[in-house]
Amino acid sequence: MDSDEEDYVFYGTPIEREEGITSRKKKAVAEASGQLRTLPSWKQEVRDEEGRRRFHGAFTGGYSAGYFNSVGSKEGWTPQSFVSSRKSRAEVRQQSIFNFLDEDEKAELDGQSLGTSSQFDTFGFTAAQLALKQAEKEQKQRPSAIPGPIPDEIILPATVSIGVKLLLKMGWRRGRSIKDSHADSLYNARREARKAFLAFSSDDASAQAAPSESIQGDLENYIEQPANDDVRSSQGTHVYTLTPKQDLHGLGFDPYKNAPEFRERKRSRISGNRDPEYRKAPSMKNNLFGFKSGKVAPGFGIGALEELDAEDEDVFASDYDFEETYVQEIDEPSTKLTVDSKRKLITNEQGVLPGFRIASKADYQPERFDPPLVPKDFEPHHKFPGPLETDFRVADAGPPEVSPPVDSNLRLLIDGVATLVARCGKLFEDLSREKNQSNPLFSFLRGGNGHDYYTRKLWEARLKRADQNKYQLDEKVSPSMQKLTAESRGHILGERPLERSFKDASSSVASSDSVHLQYNLSDTFTKPKSLSGLPEVEKPFNDDPAKQERFELFLKEKYQGGLRTTQFSGASHMSEAARACERLDFEAAAETIEKGKEGKESKMPAQHITDYLATGAMQFTSGGLQKAEDPHAEDSITKKLYPKREEYQWRPSPILCKRFDLIDPYMGKPPPAPRTRSKIDTLIFTPDSIKTKNIEETVTENRDSFATPQSDTQGKSKDVADKELEVEVEVENVERPVDLYKAIFSDDSDVEEDTTSNLNKAEHPEKKAEAANTALSRLMAGDFLESLGKELGLEVPPEPPYLKNKSVASTSEKEVNENSRYDKIQSIEDNHGIPYNQDMSQDGRHKKNELIHGTASKHGSIHSEIGSSENKNDLVNLEKNPQEDRKDKMRHRRLSSSLSSEDERSRRHSRRRRHRSSDSDSDSSSGGRHHSRSKSKRKKNSREKSTSSGTRHSKHHDRRSRDSPSRSRHGSAKEHTKAKREKH
Amino acid sequence: MSTTELPRKETNVLKGHEGAVLAARFNGDGNYCLSCGKDRTIRLWNPHRGIHVKTYKSHGREVRDVHVSPDNSKLISCGGDRQIFYWDVATGRVIRKFRGHDSEVNAVKFNEYASVVVSAGYDQSLRAWDCRSHSTEPIQIIDSFADSVMSVCLTKTEIIGGSVDGTVRTFDIRIGREISDDLGQPVNCISMSNDGNCILASCLDSTLRLLDRSTGELLQEYKGHTCKSYKLDCCLTNTDAHVAGGSEDGFIYFWDLVDASVVSRFRAHSSVVNAVCFPLSLLFDGTQKKS
Repeated sequence: MDSDEEDYVFYGTPIEREEGITSRKKKAVAEASGQLRTLPSWKQEVRDEEGRRRFHGAFTGGYSAGYFNSVGSKEGWTPQSFVSSRKSRAEVRQQSIFNFLDEDEKAELDGQSLGTSSQFDTFGFTAAQLALKQAEKEQKQRPSAIPGPIPDEIILPATVSIGVKLLLKMGWRRGRSIKDSHADSLYNARREARKAFLAFSSDDASAQAAPSESIQGDLENYIEQPANDDVRSSQGTHVYTLTPKQDLHGLGFDPYKNAPEFRERKRSRISGNRDPEYRKAPSMKNNLFGFKSGKVAPGFGIGALEELDAEDEDVFASDYDFEETYVQEIDEPSTKLTVDSKRKLITNEQGVLPGFRIASKADYQPERFDPPLVPKDFEPHHKFPGPLETDFRVADAGPPEVSPPVDSNLRLLIDGVATLVARCGKLFEDLSREKNQSNPLFSFLRGGNGHDYYTRKLWEARLKRADQNKYQLDEKVSPSMQKLTAESRGHILGERPLERSFKDASSSVASSDSVHLQYNLSDTFTKPKSLSGLPEVEKPFNDDPAKQERFELFLKEKYQGGLRTTQFSGASHMSEAARACERLDFEAAAETIEKGKEGKESKMPAQHITDYLATGAMQFTSGGLQKAEDPHAEDSITKKLYPKREEYQWRPSPILCKRFDLIDPYMGKPPPAPRTRSKIDTLIFTPDSIKTKNIEETVTENRDSFATPQSDTQGKSKDVADKELEVEVEVENVERPVDLYKAIFSDDSDVEEDTTSNLNKAEHPEKKAEAANTALSRLMAGDFLESLGKELGLEVPPEPPYLKNKSVASTSEKEVNENSRYDKIQSIEDNHGIPYNQDMSQDGRHKKNELIHGTASKHGSIHSEIGSSENKNDLVNLEKNPQEDRKDKMRHRRLSSSLSSEDERSRRHSRRRRHRSSDSDSDSSSGGRHHSRSKSKRKKNSREKSTSSGTRHSKHHDRRSRDSPSRSRHGSAKEHTKAKREKH
Repeated sequence: MSTTELPRKETNVLKGHEGAVLAARFNGDGNYCLSCGKDRTIRLWNPHRGIHVKTYKSHGREVRDVHVSPDNSKLISCGGDRQIFYWDVATGRVIRKFRGHDSEVNAVKFNEYASVVVSAGYDQSLRAWDCRSHSTEPIQIIDSFADSVMSVCLTKTEIIGGSVDGTVRTFDIRIGREISDDLGQPVNCISMSNDGNCILASCLDSTLRLLDRSTGELLQEYKGHTCKSYKLDCCLTNTDAHVAGGSEDGFIYFWDLVDASVVSRFRAHSSVVNAVCFPLSLLFDGTQKKS
């Protein structure tokens, strides 16, 4: 039938037959006809226009019932895949709107998101985003080298914006400025050439007259302002330059429409103006960019250097096109120089409007004034009316010495003025005289009261200054012309010239300069006081010429100021301390002399000075160490020093701020770092924790030492039984440290309690003391202990006792290896006061003799294994004796068969043993009693533990102090021998 | 208060303490005073009528300082037993004990709201205790001092401590700064001027020093009395016109605030004057009274 139909041509729409209509369609039609409305609501189905079932339609407007008028399906809102079992818990599935949308709706939604198409993506943002998305997708698929999600900030996919692409196509490369650097260099080179050429040709430029002058006139009536070309493209950034409309034409009006050749002309001028360098030198520019007379036809404004200018410009900065071909005339430079520069200048200067001409006769004449006439006798340098008098002659006989006026104020004033005048010259005197004409206080300047004294003082001051300056002046070669060098400045400041550069005599200052400088600087720098030759009175160390010499040197140093020589403090044979003392002496002496001088000038009567100095001298000569400073001086010093204010950071606790009703200044800031404890602190506070560990460790060691032989000798059947006891053992384990404290701390009570004296008892406290000692000494380095001992005022053995223990052990080690090990065990055991030897002897009786050997060799290895299970112990142990541990571990390799069950068993066993051993230790006969006592003691100890660490600490030291080195040595030796004895 | 108004004679002798009185403090309105001493008691007096009101006993050793809360309902005291007692005034019971100082507590003060107590201890620390919570742990320990802290003053925002190391340290809670003024001499006692701008520090070189708080400048020194080994109180009068201080020879000295001249001086006690305290209107000197 189909084949038949192919042959025919049908017109019109065929009537659809019943069968051809899909059920879907039928339903839709039925719906449309309202057939379905008759159905009960729960049988109704909502269909879209294509006949698919759809939601109730609440989203798209209108409402039609879904499943029972509730949801679209029977399942309703039930989560699609709810799986919950023990193993695989239901995952929380993130649902989004897309889960509920049909495909077409999704497509619709997708289309709605906005984004820049890559075509317009100038900055590459959208491209970057897309690339990011792509990268994320990819990352999900492939295993990444870096585990975990990589933050987006770190890794960004590379994208290229369309602008960059374009630029790249234009030949731009990354990392370069948009302006081609090659062209830039070329340009520079050419500019150099141009410059050189200009320099060569500028001379005869004016001579050349340009025939094209007349033609130019009209052209150049257009106002052309230099375009802003400061916006040179910087490195790698896009610069968008706006070219403002700078002419006066209407928008869109092109004056060159019919005369394109003029446009070219204008362009050349603009670009000519652009170059800042040439703008500065207009005449030069005109030379360059003017018209060429000979070859080029007049009116064609083709600049010779057009090409260069084009390079000048930013590619994007100009809206001019570069299609025009320019005439290259660089090879004929002579043609460029044919411009009337004068003409050009005028047009440039006066921006004449188009259509206007410059008036030949200006109405406005700016008023000009003639410069003031300089008098003929004027000299351009200021001269002081008074002589500066720096070259004051010392040889002059001074005015007679006059006693100072009675009025101390006046005297001070006179002194001050005299020094100033001496410093600044006569001018100052004149000035002050003028100023204080009416002031009666200054009458001495005019020959009034105290004039004699003033003259005398002035003379003195000048003398002083002359001394000072003489040297300086001598060195001057050409005083007025020299510049101030470092050395001359040093002179002025009173520094000692450096030896090396001393020969440079030419360094000097003009005398007036020096005076001026000195005057200015006297405020900021201490002036060197010229102590030219001390009078005999001022030699406080007369009886010791060497010392006096040194003193004088010191004085020289002191008053000359500047750099101090290293060889001061003279005698090299003196010790540092002696030197320092002497230095102090000198300082004091100098001060007294100073004071004496002051006194002479101001306060003290003359005889008093000598008095003072005499006493001072006595002081200096007799008591080397005594300071001659009078209490008043000291007082003033302290006054100056105190109160001293310092400021620190301090952090109030938040709750304090709250209680004070203030805002915490450190709110939200991280808490301060915990304060580091000092050595002493750690000593005081750490022992308890470490010690418990220590003890625990030893206990385990003990236990282990017996565990192995047992496991060797006894059957495995016992293990089962042991396991049953595990729990109990563990409980005991908790208590153990408390129990062990007794061994260290309860010897006092022990002594009190054990009234029945036997031989063991006498040894007992001693041993315990030793135990405590070893425990403590193990913690700290030997030198530290020593220092602590010193602090506590105890007698400290030159070598810490524990070292001796070890050393003894090591010596014995040479003889019998087992024994040394044994010793070590013993020292460890001593921590809790269980004498290992007795223990051993008891056990030895129970077990075979070889057991000891086995123990001795193996205990370490097992211990190390225990250590692995009990990290703490291991750690401590490692800290304590790493060497031993290493050895043990080696052995442990061989003995790795020991199991944790064994450990437990051994623990239990040793526990049992421990009680026994402690009994035997103190008093073998009163075992039961001791047991009960130890229990009670345990309580006591727990109480004791709660007391402050300070008391415990002190106890330690008691023990330490009691423990003399000799005894400790003895003790260990004794025990050693005893152990030997018992072994056999 | 002019010079003529300065007290010259004792209004009342409050007898009752057995042993030295170490501190005497007025309450906020000046109607009552408290004294504490070596007999381990704190006594509440009405100084105007000379009546002994109450005795507070709980301290195990001498009581070194006492302070009354601004609302007169609570007392705080400290002493040689390293403890600080927070008392209810009316019932005479100890509400709380603050332990934590490692040695004797020299001074103690309430803050403005009586919510915090700051104590100064021989253990070189200042400790702040919270009166509102039930915690007996200090809420702040200030241990920047290098020696025993002898005295403490509180303002609304600052804690000021004077120490034997010669410093007066101001801890500004508001800005979180510690300002240390080194006086070079062991500081015995500090007291604030009433305007809060100055600190009067009694130093062990027999000098009272007046410091400007904002700049740390030494404004004036007051000399003439003896203070070499005891903790002697000093204070400013209510008008800030005079400086009062005890002396080890039993005198009480008054200096003019500005020119530091001894304005008045009288013998109040046969031995050391331990405490001087100014209420609103009249002078009271807590001293070594031996009944």
